[in-house]
Formats: sequence, structure tokens, C-alpha cells
Amino acid sequence: MEELPYRTILCDVLVVGAGGAGCRAAIEATKYNLDVIMLSKELLGKAHTAMAEGGYNVSLGNVDPDDNPETHFKDTIVGGNYLNDQALAEILVRDASERVFDLEEMGAVFDRTPEGKIAQRPFGKQSWRRTAYASDRTGSEIMVTLVEAVRKSAVRVYDEIFATKLLLHDGRIAGVTAIDLKYGDYMIFRAKAVVMATGGAGRVYTVTSNAQLDVGDGYAMAYEAGCDLIDMEMVQFHPTGMVKPESARGRLVTEAVRGEGGILLNSEGERFMHRYYPGVMELAGRDQVARSIMTEVREGRGSPDGGVYLSISHLPRSIIEFRLESMIEQFEDAGVDIRDEPMQVSPTCHHFMGGIKIDEEAGTNIPGLFAAGECTGGVHGGNRLGGNALADTQVFGALSGESAAKFAKEHEMTGLPKEKAMKEFLKLEAMLKREKGISPADARKELTDLMWTKVQIFRKEEEMAFAVKELRRIENEVVPKIKVDVAEKRFNPGWHQAIEFGHMVTTARMVAEAALIRKGSRGAHYRVDADPEDDGYYNIVVRKGANGDMELTKQELIITKITPP
Amino acid sequence: MAETIKTSVQRYNPDNDDAPYLQDFEVEYEVGMTVLDALLYVQDKFDSSLAFRWECRGGQCGSCAVKVNGTARIACRTKVDPEESLVLEPLDKMPIIKDLVVDMAQTEYRIRRIRPYVARDKKPERPEIIHAEEIEKVREIRKCIECAACLSNCPIVHETWEYPGPMIIRQIARLELDPRDVEDRVGMAIDESVYSCTTCKMCTDICPKKIDVPALAVELLRAKAVEAGYPLAEGQQGFIDQINATGRAVPEKDAPLLKALETEEFTVENSRGRVGFFTGCLIDYRMQNTGKALIEVLNRNGVDVIVPKEQWCCASPAFRTGDLHTAHAAVERVTEIFENAMDKHGFDTVVVACAGCGKTLREDHRPVITEKRGEPPKFKVHDLAEYMLDVIGKENLVLPKGEIKLKITYHEPCHLGRGQGVVDQPVELLKMIPGVEYIEDPYRNRCCGAGGGVRAGKRELSQKIATTKREYIEATGASMITTECPFCTIQISDILEGSEIETRYIPDLLAESYRKGDK
Ligand code: SF4
Ligand code: SF4
Ligand code: FES
Repeated sequence: MEELPYRTILCDVLVVGAGGAGCRAAIEATKYNLDVIMLSKELLGKAHTAMAEGGYNVSLGNVDPDDNPETHFKDTIVGGNYLNDQALAEILVRDASERVFDLEEMGAVFDRTPEGKIAQRPFGKQSWRRTAYASDRTGSEIMVTLVEAVRKSAVRVYDEIFATKLLLHDGRIAGVTAIDLKYGDYMIFRAKAVVMATGGAGRVYTVTSNAQLDVGDGYAMAYEAGCDLIDMEMVQFHPTGMVKPESARGRLVTEAVRGEGGILLNSEGERFMHRYYPGVMELAGRDQVARSIMTEVREGRGSPDGGVYLSISHLPRSIIEFRLESMIEQFEDAGVDIRDEPMQVSPTCHHFMGGIKIDEEAGTNIPGLFAAGECTGGVHGGNRLGGNALADTQVFGALSGESAAKFAKEHEMTGLPKEKAMKEFLKLEAMLKREKGISPADARKELTDLMWTKVQIFRKEEEMAFAVKELRRIENEVVPKIKVDVAEKRFNPGWHQAIEFGHMVTTARMVAEAALIRKGSRGAHYRVDADPEDDGYYNIVVRKGANGDMELTKQELIITKITPP
Repeated sequence: MAETIKTSVQRYNPDNDDAPYLQDFEVEYEVGMTVLDALLYVQDKFDSSLAFRWECRGGQCGSCAVKVNGTARIACRTKVDPEESLVLEPLDKMPIIKDLVVDMAQTEYRIRRIRPYVARDKKPERPEIIHAEEIEKVREIRKCIECAACLSNCPIVHETWEYPGPMIIRQIARLELDPRDVEDRVGMAIDESVYSCTTCKMCTDICPKKIDVPALAVELLRAKAVEAGYPLAEGQQGFIDQINATGRAVPEKDAPLLKALETEEFTVENSRGRVGFFTGCLIDYRMQNTGKALIEVLNRNGVDVIVPKEQWCCASPAFRTGDLHTAHAAVERVTEIFENAMDKHGFDTVVVACAGCGKTLREDHRPVITEKRGEPPKFKVHDLAEYMLDVIGKENLVLPKGEIKLKITYHEPCHLGRGQGVVDQPVELLKMIPGVEYIEDPYRNRCCGAGGGVRAGKRELSQKIATTKREYIEATGASMITTECPFCTIQISDILEGSEIETRYIPDLLAESYRKGDK
């Protein structure tokens, strides 16, 4: 086989991803006297976690003293339409408070109650005011804190490293292949244990709140390596994304706006949530609000730009200025003063509930491979509650770091699957060398538009079947022909996009294939042609079969406490 | 046809190219377009290998800072001006990796040097009780997204990494303000050269989070240092002692303006307005002619000028260096003097011709007095140029007629442009003078290195900044540089010593043109 030059770097625990979950995992793992490397696809601190706005759910009961982990659990399961892995949800609600205190110990500055405790605000579908926050920049606060903690720790940060493939040796995790985005070098990172914390894949949809890098690298890598993935059809569309200007389309308008009392109005000035969910109004589940908005738009009661109005002008200015400061700034750029004028909003692809299936130690079905955060599935079931994702990153970040460290302590380094690594490098190299082919920018547009129009909020059999057919074609015919315009390795976004494209297609396919076999409506998966016979109380597990085909199986729910009605 | 914008982007791949070069692209303009949109357009339509960083497209991640027409800003929140072409370059100070992507490694080392995390000496209770008031100030400076744009623009970082720059000095202040942190951040700030900042406000001006680093970090840390007993530099202490003893920051030399003037009231017939003139130390003690010129210019435009004989230093040097005791005493004194004069002479506006005094009266005195008695000083404060154009109004100005045939450029004092928002007015005044060919200096708003106690306390550093400034000035090809601050005037004429370029104060130049026109 042809050989390409590469560098190999060793460590005990390798964390892939440097957002909320990755940083937390790395910090935890260093406590075990191990050498820990954290790979960051972006510069340290620039991960999508910094863009989370609203808050962190934790049943401290600082504002509503009757709150407790039990209620948090119940809200999470009901909100998740009973599809959650209840064992994981129990861990979430159990550890959320210790992990928020960890953050404070590291230096986080959350907003306070008059008694000096962490303040909590109401969020959708929660029985009590439970969401801890730092104005509407909670994710940023957490990210900044974790960066401070990483800088204090002995974690070795390799920034702007793009992991492309998981390497296995004798069935155990052996490390990853990667390229150095800055200089284009091929690299192998070998480790005794690996944590995946690669975030989500909002970017497979045209309209998304997600950062540039959220293209589903982790899902695709885990799939290729043989991991089980669960609930991939469950994609959360956040009801309120920005509509205008075009370049800001999809940017998140935090749920805190509604949490603080914002109301939704249609073009007739009607507070339309009355008609859909009169009990909870704007604080219905995210999937419910998203569908209500889309119904208004489809039935001709939307704004001229295809959204609805979200208004907070009835709130005291001081509240808006103190608790929604980023929103003021964000809309100022669009020429809207939210203190006086309504915002135009419509749904945007926001979060993947599904992902790598993990057990109660955050382990995957591959020995030595652990996972945490948005790249995993199960915790949130069919619909994630606002505020549960940040908690997820901290709870499972710490847990996966601990488990990976323990695994690394008990195991030696595996052998080197050099041939597999070389095969990957040659594949990446081929994209640069190809003379004729398809440019990633065009291919990407086709893919994201397909997902946005065919596997979206309202789902239909024919549309999804079409999407599946198209995705298989893209996988077979387009992916192998992706070609980089300029054959340069040094910081070449064209090359990065080409590599990402394969990951996006694999991820999109898992979403569409799983969605197609779920015939009833459940959670975020809403079918206009729902089969009434299908109550939907199962999970779909996706894996790569022995023959290389995508295998989908229905699996019984994991129930520890609450049985579906 | 859609409108297009000429966008020049600096390209450089050190693997192949000898040196960076600019490449031009035509970008289709859309309403609301940001610099990031323009870059994405180029990447999409012309060259997918164009390297720049971005993630969130909304000012949340801090990845996308680049130099936009010479000034570093975050690309995703900087609007494209359809009237202007765009020049996009990588941040200064950091080595280039490719095109607009720079190596942040040194910045990261620099951050780590300050132990940038809350250091504790014992484990906290869970829950930890922290009251909102204790963290209120932290909250404001915690919004930083580490975009590093301010590092690229900071005139001090430009000269030396000894000073960690606004982004990092801000982190020291953030930790000093955090009740949980046990390290001696004040000592650290001294070690990290906190007295190097000229308080030029360049960082505040471009910060996407509008963090007022000089006030909330630098001056705060300096005040804490003074409180903790750290001595000021000799040169700085000299100013402070003078202020406390005489009400003037410098010792008397020639006959002071206030002593030389025979009257307090300079009135005209049918006046259109009446102002008090706050001379400041340097006009009173060193630049008496400028003071007279100011009175003359205002009188010629039909404005009565009252010059209270008893005046006191605004205490800018004390505010800037952290001696709040001296500063606050001066605030009260100045307010009292001018409020009395208001009553006695019947004016409600005070005109200043010193950028430093104007900024201090507006930004520093007002909050102190407001906090003390619930309401700010009763008088309005205006810079001379601002008063002439915004209050008198351009259409009402008596135009100077004497020709001054010169190529003239302008240095915008930091505390005038960014300190008081007076940007275009001085240039408007210059352009009114017949014969003047105004030459715009793209770096006209860069600090001259005099302010913030740096000229007084760190002469060598001040000289370095000034030398950089000299290069900018010389590059304009002008034969005269004008400005509106005595401190800048002194600093700039010092650095231009031996050069052909003359340094003038705007009121002087105006008065000269008026007088010439009389003949
Ligand atoms: S005020 Fe000027 S000198 Fe001081 S930190 Fe900011 S940019 Fe640098
Ligand atoms: S202080 Fe402002 S300009 Fe400087 S790094 Fe922070 S956010 Fe950017
Ligand atoms: S892209 Fe995140 S700050 Fe500009």
C-alpha cells in the first residue's frame, strides 16, 4: 500500500471534542494521574456550548422549594414522550446539582436569588422554576468557566484538530485518525480509552441554530466503527429561530424569552397558542410550539417573511435588559429593538436527541469507547427539555471522563491498526488529488435542502422514502466523487468541508432511515400520516451491519420507574 | 444589476508565497450584510480554500476577528458599508498561518501566565452563598468572548507583550473582583504592567461586548493598587502632589492665563450664547495663547466667554493612575466652582478645549457627583469643536477668511473621539479654513502614547508608541498635523522634532485664519 507521512501521539485518555461535555470529561480524567489529550476541532472555547443561552436544569429548589430530582425525572420522561432511557435520565437528575456546584467551584457566575443562592427560571414543560442561568448567556458562562478550568488543569489541548475516524484494534478502541486543520498534517492519536464528545449535527439542515462545526462527525465516526446509535430520527426543531436577515436565519432566540413571559402572536395579532395548548401556552414542549407556529404559517397567518411574532414589549425594560441582554444585541444587529418591537421567529433545527447509545457508565458497545453530550442518545428520549442539554454535558461529561480514566487504568495500550489508518489517509488524500468531481459546497446544499424539505417537522411517508432513496444515491454516487477545488493542505476550508460531507451524509441517512420505519407520531417525530396502530413506545437502534449495510432494529424501552400510559 | 463591493482580502500561504498580497473580489451586496457574509460569499463563489475562522455567526464564540479597513473587529457583527470598499487582513501581532487565520499560541501562553482561574484556598460549601451585589461587577467584564480583536488594536500590545493587553488584563480584574479568588491579583497586575495602558479606549470601542476595559479593569486595578500602598511612578506622583498643593498638575512657568487675563467676562454685543471656559492645567500654565485663541474664536462667533479666575484641575492624572482620593476631592471642587460661576454669570454650558479634561468631566465626574448627591453636575460640557458645530451650528458660524495654504492632517485624541464621541467636528472646522488641503490619516485615531499616566510614568514605552504614531503621520505626506488636546500636542511635537511637520492646536489655527482674514 502507498504510504503517506503522518505523526503519532500517545496518551492515556483521549477526549474528542472540546465543548461542554468534552472539557468536563477531560478535566475529570486528569484527576486520575493520567495523561489526557483533548482534541478540539475549533480553538479552545469556541465550541457550540458557548451559544447555548437559556440555562441548566437542576432541581435545587432555590426558588420553588418543592422541586426535587424525582419531579425533574418525571418532567424529563414526560417531556421525552417516554422514549428516554430511564436509567440515564435518573443519572441526569441525580448528578445535575453536584455538577452545577462543580461549575461554581471552578468559578462560574450564575445569577442569584435574594438569599445568594443560584437563581432559577421557568422553562417549557417543567413543573417548577428549575433552570439555573447567567442572564441569557448561560452556555457562554459555562464554556468560559470550563476553559478557565482546562487552563488550570494538566489537560493537553490540541486545538484545530479534526478527528476523522475511530481506530479499533481487536475489537477495542485504539485511537483516532485526524488532520491538523492548521497545517494539514495527518495524525494518529493513540489512547487506552477514548471519549466522544463531538456534539450535534444541526448543520445537516438548511436552517439551524448550530455552529459551523456541528456536522455530525461523531455520529458518523461511531457508526462506521460499529457503535449502536439510538433515536436518530428524533431531531429537535427549536420553535424560535431568527427569520431575518437571511444570513442570520435560524439563529437561536432563546426559550428564556418565553420563560420570562414572551408571547407568540400571528399576523392577526392573535395569541394563537390558546388554540393549541391553552394550559401551558408558550411554554408547551418545543416540538408542540414548533408545530403550532408552522401550522399558523401554513394556514396563512404568518408574518410576511414566513414566521410569527414573539413579543416581550409588555415586560418591564429592566427585566429585559438584565435577563435577555444577548437577545437585545442579537436583534439590534437586525435593526429590531426588542424592548419595543416584536421579533419575527420560526422553527430552526436545534438539537439531536438521538446519538451514540451509552450505558450507565457512559460506555458504548465498543470496549474503551465512551461518549457524552449531544453526540449520545437516550437521555432525552423523543424531545429534550430546554435546559437539560447543558446539564447533560456536565453530568455525562464528568461520568464519561471518570469511566474512561478507570478503563485506562486497567488496560494497556492496544496495538496499532496502521493499515486502517493509512487507508483513511489515502481516502482523504484522494479528495485533494481528484481531477474531476463534485464540489462540496454544491453537494452540501443539495443535502441540507433535502433534509429541510423532506425530513422535517411534519413528516410524510413519500417524502421520507424519497429522502432515503436520495441519500443512498448521494452516499454511493456523490460522496466518492467529492473533490477539493484547491489541492492545498494548509488550512483549507474546502478540504475540511469535503471530509465533513461524508459525515453529514451518514448522519442524515441515519435520521431519514430511522424516521421512515417509525410509522406513528412520537416526540419530535410527527407524521401527518401517522399510523394509529403504532403507539411508538420503542426505540430504534441503528448500526452498521456485518455486510456493511445500515441495520435498523426496534428495541424495547428502558424503563426503571415510569411506565408509558 | 445587484450592487457589488470591492473586497480586498489578504492572501498568504507561507508554504508557497514569498509574502502576503491582496486579492480583489467583487461581492454582491445585500442589505444587512456582515463582513463574515462577504467572506463566506468569496469562499463559496470564488475560492473554497480562502482561510478564515468562524463558528457561531452571531458574536457568541469569538472566532472571527479580522482587520476590517485597518481596525480589528469581529467579522460576524461588523456591517458592510455599501458605499465603501473593504480591505480584510489578519489580526496584528499574531503570526499568520494562512490568509486571515493567525496563530493564537502566543496569546494562549500569555493568558496562562496570569493563572486565569479562580484560585481557592479551601473547598467551598455546597451550596455556596454568593450575593448578587458581590458579583455584579464581575458579570459585566465576564462577557468577554476572547475574540482577541482588542489585542490586535491595543497600542501597547503592538509594542510589547510585557503588557498582557485588554483581553487579559480584563481577566485579572475579573478575578480580583471575584470574592472567591484568593490570589493577590493586584500584585499580579503590577507585575503584568498595568500602568502601561494609555486608557486610549481602542479596546472598548471595538469590543463586541462593549466592555469598558480601561475603566472596569485597568483603572480599577490601579485604584486597588494605590489603596494597597503601591507607589506611583515618580513622574506620576509629581503630578498628583502638584494637584493637591496648587490645583494644577504642572508647576507654574510663564504667567498663567488665568492670572494674565484682566477680566473674567469676555462678552460680545448681541451674543447668541454664553459659556464657561474650563481651561485645564496645560492651557492655563503652558499654552496661554491657545486659551486666548479659544476665547477669540468663540467671541467672533457671537458667544460670550466666562473664564472663572479660580479654577482647579479636573484630576484626570489622578483618575487615570488610581489615586481616587485626590480625584474625588477635585471633582467636588471643580463642580462647586463651576456651579457657582453658572449662577453668578448665567451660563449653563462649559466649553473645554482639552480632550483629557472633557472626557474626565463627562465620564468620571458625573458618576461621582451623581452617586454623592443623586444628581449630576448642573452644567453641560462640550468640546470646542463640538460646541461650534453642534450647538452654534455650521450655518451660523462666521467663516474664517485668511488663507492657510497647507496640507493638513488630524490626530484624533483618544479622549475626544472615543472618550466623548467627537469625531468629525474638528475635521469640519479644519475644512472651513480657506486653502487647507485636508489629508485623512487612516490611523488618525491611534493613540500618541501620552495618556493614562504613561508619558509621565513610563517614558520609554510612551516613546515607542509615539514613534509608531510618527510613522503613521509621516505616511500621510501632510506638512502640518493638528489636534485638540494640549497633551497630544506636546507629545506629537516632541516626536516630530527634527521633522518638517508642524504641530498645531486647532483653535490656534482658526484664530490665525480669522486674524489673517481681518487684514
Ligand atoms: S485602553 Fe488602549 S492601551 Fe489600554 S488596554 Fe485598551 S487598547 Fe490597550
Ligand atoms: S474584551 Fe471585548 S474585544 Fe477584547 S477579547 Fe474580550 S470580547 Fe473581544
Ligand atoms: S462567528 Fe462567532 S463571534 Fe463571529
